Amino acid sequence: MKTKRPIQALNEKARAIQSLADGENKSVRASQQGPPAMPVGCTTIFDTGWETNPRPTYPVGNCMSSAKDFHGCAGDCWWPAQVPDGLTNHEDFDKQCPNIARDWRVLKYD
Amino acid sequence: MNAKMKNVLLGATIVGTLILAVAGTATAWAKDTYYYIGYGLIQIVDGDSDAIVGEIPVEGWLRETDFSADDKFLYVTANRHLIHKIDLASRQVVHTIDVAGGGWDRFIFGFDLAPDGKTAWVNLLSRKTHKGDVIIGKPMLAQIDLSDGKIIRSIEVPWGSATIVSVKDSSQIYVIGKDIVKVDVAAEEMHIIGEYPMFEKQWNILPLWDNSRENNGVFIVNYYTPELMGLLSIDTTSGEITATPLEGPPVFAYSVMRSPDKKKVYAVMDELTVIDMATASYESITMVPNGTNYAINVSSDGKKIYVAGGGATTTVFDAQSQQAIKVLQMETDGMDFRRVTQHQDP
Repeated sequence: MKTKRPIQALNEKARAIQSLADGENKSVRASQQGPPAMPVGCTTIFDTGWETNPRPTYPVGNCMSSAKDFHGCAGDCWWPAQVPDGLTNHEDFDKQCPNIARDWRVLKYD
Repeated sequence: MNAKMKNVLLGATIVGTLILAVAGTATAWAKDTYYYIGYGLIQIVDGDSDAIVGEIPVEGWLRETDFSADDKFLYVTANRHLIHKIDLASRQVVHTIDVAGGGWDRFIFGFDLAPDGKTAWVNLLSRKTHKGDVIIGKPMLAQIDLSDGKIIRSIEVPWGSATIVSVKDSSQIYVIGKDIVKVDVAAEEMHIIGEYPMFEKQWNILPLWDNSRENNGVFIVNYYTPELMGLLSIDTTSGEITATPLEGPPVFAYSVMRSPDKKKVYAVMDELTVIDMATASYESITMVPNGTNYAINVSSDGKKIYVAGGGATTTVFDAQSQQAIKVLQMETDGMDFRRVTQHQDP
């Protein structure tokens, strides 16, 4: 029985992606195997940015506080899943809360 | 010459020397003014009092900046597609252009004013939709007309390109991405003339801004290898690129700035780090009391260090002791902290 597709490709690019996905199998590759497939991150080189790296002493990891890095990550779409992207869907979100530490309670975006 | 005459001459000499000394002191000065690049707002900080003395409302979230050659105008990019021209005397935006056009959305990731004051260099990404499909344009270095934002000429550059630096009297543009691509823009037709490799050396680099103006004409940024942090500098006069690997475990830094005497380099992220250039090693690491900062600047006399951006604070440090001497609460979060220095030589 053919599985019903939950979504349907409507344009040329979507159909091309669908045809690629048809022949694709689930796969897992450890980052140590071969050249790492790093996502485009916070730098011009394909690395995720050093602020996400663990450090040996305090403070460990991210920016301190994370609110201080919110606008920098949002406006340029560095982390589009976690913060509003300023290039396409939420160009004016900063007007709601130009000072994240002070205004974060009024931040609204879908 | 009698004693009375000698006394008169001696007195005149002393008075004259004092007058010259006072006159010399009175006419030799340097005044720093800082511009905090925020969100919908630029705040002005006086370098003597370290107080906020004014603000300039500006539409959008702000990124790259550059000053006109006469320091009368500040250009700032907003929302990655607007360019505002700000009159610093009247503290207001006097002109705004949008680089979008011809059905294309365009996004600026790198901005540098051209010497003619009428055009600018921008590193552009572009996109549009056609019959439901998204079309992504090839990344380009473009020269645009600052009166209307239209592209005058362009050349394709590699993906991942961002900050651009003008060198050799703007006859060449260095485009910084995975590698540094050198573009000759002197002739009518631009062409790539060379490349400085970084990717194959496993460098990781985040060149946020061209700070060469406050750095005696030297663009400087930190880079990382798997083992260490180093400093990459570009002499904008000669075009020479220099890499200085630093000894010791790497610190984390968003941006760096050199001291006026070129003996130290200051780096900032969560800490203010002092780097001794004679030994290419870390001299001290001091926690910034208010957390992460993106930007750093140094007073023209080298006595104070300013860290700002990220969150809505500007912290002023004594350069000698690395003690925080003042924290300014800014109205908005920020990205950069620029300095203009007015000089009067004796």
